[in-house]
Amino acid sequence: MFRLDTHVHTCLSPCGELDMHPPGIVKAALRAGVDAVAVCDHNSAENVAAVHRAGRKAGLAVLAGMEVTTEEEVHIVALLPDVESALTLQSRVYRVLPGRNHDALFGLQVIANEDEEVLGFTDRLLLGATTWSVETAVAAIHELGGLAIAAHVDRERFGIIGQLGMIPPGLGLDAIEVSVRMVLPVARAQCAPSAGFPVLVASDAHDPKDVGRGVTFMFLEQPDFSEVQQALTGRNGRTVLGGGRPMEDLSLHVLDIAQNAVEAGATMIEIDLTEDPGGDRLVIEVRDNGRGMDAATAAVAADPFFTTRTTRTVGMGLSLLAEAARAAGGMLSLESEPGQGTRVKATFRYGHIDRAPLGDIETTLMVLLAGNPRVDVLFRHAVSGREFSLCSMDVRAALQGENLASPQGLALLREAIRSGESQLAG
Amino acid sequence: MTVAEIAKQIGGVVFGSTADADRPVTGGYVSDLLSDVIANAQEGDLWVTLQKHVNIVAVAHLNSLAGIVIVNGRQPEPDVSVRAAEERVPIVSTPLPAFDVVGILYGLGVHGRGMLC
Repeated sequence: MFRLDTHVHTCLSPCGELDMHPPGIVKAALRAGVDAVAVCDHNSAENVAAVHRAGRKAGLAVLAGMEVTTEEEVHIVALLPDVESALTLQSRVYRVLPGRNHDALFGLQVIANEDEEVLGFTDRLLLGATTWSVETAVAAIHELGGLAIAAHVDRERFGIIGQLGMIPPGLGLDAIEVSVRMVLPVARAQCAPSAGFPVLVASDAHDPKDVGRGVTFMFLEQPDFSEVQQALTGRNGRTVLGGGRPMEDLSLHVLDIAQNAVEAGATMIEIDLTEDPGGDRLVIEVRDNGRGMDAATAAVAADPFFTTRTTRTVGMGLSLLAEAARAAGGMLSLESEPGQGTRVKATFRYGHIDRAPLGDIETTLMVLLAGNPRVDVLFRHAVSGREFSLCSMDVRAALQGENLASPQGLALLREAIRSGESQLAG
Repeated sequence: MTVAEIAKQIGGVVFGSTADADRPVTGGYVSDLLSDVIANAQEGDLWVTLQKHVNIVAVAHLNSLAGIVIVNGRQPEPDVSVRAAEERVPIVSTPLPAFDVVGILYGLGVHGRGMLC
């Protein structure tokens, strides 16, 4: 299970901040708990190798990429097998990219190394458009063994649907990407009707604080290009599980808390969501039968600087959920006893202007169960009196011995969640 | 005023469905965002754009536009012309930029559908 941010810029992009230098990006990504980033500057790959090297030093997987601008002003993200193929794509793009940059107008285009040193500048007009059509760009990416992804399809400017009215039928895209402006359920309904493309969420970060703001969860052996390629084509059990905005979506706070429960040895996790717009109330409750904690630990568990985790500098789930609840006129309560499990309950005023969006609950359940197929999950979601409940034991029973984390298992699980959630929406 | 008559006035060449170039033009719209054209162009409009992707044919067909003018000397690829002929959409390619095309259209009595006029 890996979290990937498949679209980040560097200081090479004229709109990118200067502190998006190679080690800066790597540091920001690790801080955000991301397992891999793809470096996708506008029409260039000059900084890909340096970020790749900085990532290797610090233990972050870095994929080679580029954000190609087509003549229709559509942005296509290219993910490439390696640094060499990214540089080959760059030389082909440079041949069809007219114009010179104007620093004062568009910003500096800084080529940097992995030691934060400036190596030089490029004066090509990276913000310009190539003379490639979307079809030509996709073909050029595929010729190098790369993956072609329509960038931020929810954006009117530079998104393929805004620029071209619709995704051209027959265009061989490998996925579509949604920006952090939209929650996944809405994007699925509006931008990917029946086309069957995998949907990715990515930050499109131009600033270190935004790296990892949008992530895609993929079921992989390791976060490298070949595995991502298999996930986008649904081969060998690799797949895209979902995505979202870890700092904003309540559904991903719930995922974090459920994963805490797994780490605490829970074999049974109950998740209750109650949406009551009429009563101006949203309640999220997560109960587990893990090892629990003593009163002293429980008292500080929601402190952002308390964590038992070693992979991240801050323990995100509880503190973020507590903050989100308080911001929306609600509160978080935590009850736990050693040997008795833990119960976390967060309340919100449903209509509060600062109430964070729920996000994509499908992602929460897919990631939780794909990563922990033997944990029993009891999920209940009520909206204004309508109710959907899902029990992982039932899904497992329907699979007749097949693993829940197998392609068949995950497909069945996804179908069950989608049909249940769509009935709630209707 | 028909598409063919306008083509002559802006030094344009007609591609796609030349047979439909005698269609009357009842208004005009300018945009390069196809989603915007879908939302706002009206039936009978002549659409002025620099886009030449094959999706322009689908958009013109969808909104029952009179035809498309592609500006700045850009020309549709052969497959786009074939598609336009099939969907009965005339496409005019003109060497003029959009601003001049619209100026000439106003002179010819072809207006937009804004509220001011």
